[in-house]
Amino acid sequence: MSERQTMPVTPDPLARRYRRLLLCYPRAWRRERGEELVATLLEAAPPGRTRPSAREAANLIGHGMRARLGRPRSRSVVVWAALAAVICGLFTASLATRLAWETSRPMPDQAEAAAVLAEIMPGQAVDGIYVPSGLFTMYGEQLSLKMLDSLLFGDGNEYALSATTASRNGASTVPVAQLAAAIEQRLRDSGWTVYGVTHHDLYSCAGPPCDPTVIPQDTRLFAERGDTTMAVELMPQQYADSTFLSVSLSRTTPAAVLPAGIVGGLLGAVAGWLVFGWASRRAQAPHPVRVVVNVLFGITMTLWWPPVLYVAPFMVNHHLGEPHPSWHPLWEWLGQPTFSLFLAAGCAAALLGLALAALPSRRREPQRVAAV
Amino acid sequence: MREPTFLILTALAAGPRYGYGIIQDVAELSGGRTSLLPGTLYTALDRLAAEGLVEIDREETVDGRLRRYYRLTPRGVTALEAETARLRELTAAAETRLRTLRPRTA
Repeated sequence: MSERQTMPVTPDPLARRYRRLLLCYPRAWRRERGEELVATLLEAAPPGRTRPSAREAANLIGHGMRARLGRPRSRSVVVWAALAAVICGLFTASLATRLAWETSRPMPDQAEAAAVLAEIMPGQAVDGIYVPSGLFTMYGEQLSLKMLDSLLFGDGNEYALSATTASRNGASTVPVAQLAAAIEQRLRDSGWTVYGVTHHDLYSCAGPPCDPTVIPQDTRLFAERGDTTMAVELMPQQYADSTFLSVSLSRTTPAAVLPAGIVGGLLGAVAGWLVFGWASRRAQAPHPVRVVVNVLFGITMTLWWPPVLYVAPFMVNHHLGEPHPSWHPLWEWLGQPTFSLFLAAGCAAALLGLALAALPSRRREPQRVAAV
Repeated sequence: MREPTFLILTALAAGPRYGYGIIQDVAELSGGRTSLLPGTLYTALDRLAAEGLVEIDREETVDGRLRRYYRLTPRGVTALEAETARLRELTAAAETRLRTLRPRTA
């Protein structure tokens, strides 16, 4: 029976609007009970009402989304659906932010980098300026299929926001602290927003005996101007030909990234909820492979969530540890693509689970509330 | 058992009711404190039906609107009796303690 037969078009605007809200319920549910619910809504509505109240609308949307999960006896199915929706939302938000990064200007070229260096470090020649081939690179190159095995098997963390870099080997003619202060002052004079100077140990204690106070430290300066960020690293001289000055010029996060992330995340979360709900309804008893589908869902969540829970605290500490003119991209907070093998394996498990859920069930007709 | 569920089963204990009838009965039973929205009611009916506590009694069409009446199953009656007994015990225990408390605070 078609839905139109059971849910007739009516000139009553309130009924029409209730029916529109009932689209949140799965189609089989609407066929079975949609008219009954609309009748109850109309009877409960005060005279003269032409639009559902906000409370009614929220109630129907919430319970409709719950009905999409099936398994009316289960309370935990809501938790599983929420886990699936959130992780799908995070992944799609990451994808959307990556696409939005394409609105960024390319990394500073030779001329722009040389001009900036001349501005903040007059008289300090560098040994060369390296301009990356793209916004995000792996081993200095844009991501390509030939890098897929490296990306999946251990080197995913090499994929990162690139930067135009310049360095100088040898020894500074002035003490590092004095050079850092001079660069900081010139940055401020040139209109850069300068973040506080930080110092980091060049290496950690390998074991006793170890005196942390004698470990040499580098000096780092971070600055931002317009859509350009700068990181200056000054290192104490260790060898005659070691690098003592390193400058990285990169781009700030484009304005489109935040809205793209929010929209992409919301769409992904809704899609995750709906797809989970579809599979959950399909794989109810007496579906022949419901146990396998449930196990595959568990495997998917076990592969997708741990990298997020493991990496996110490290990222928080990292961001608190030193100034960040731009936050690291969202996918790095989710442990991607460092743990991309987990993501890919989870995708395979999810697709297999969905395929099995699509197998015909022994039950053909939608379940009625109860037999009369 | 949550209070709305208890009230729905109590409403059906008086005989078969349809959706809006249950909503009205629940409001009356709770002295107006519990106002069930239709979305909440039908989710609860879905759950109660899946648990075997309620079932459809009959269907009617009144003024072109579908009314589906629900009734308690024997399991539903048993569940309501058990919950009522539990609440009675709790109420009795609370009343006993309040009686011992009143002379002291008076």
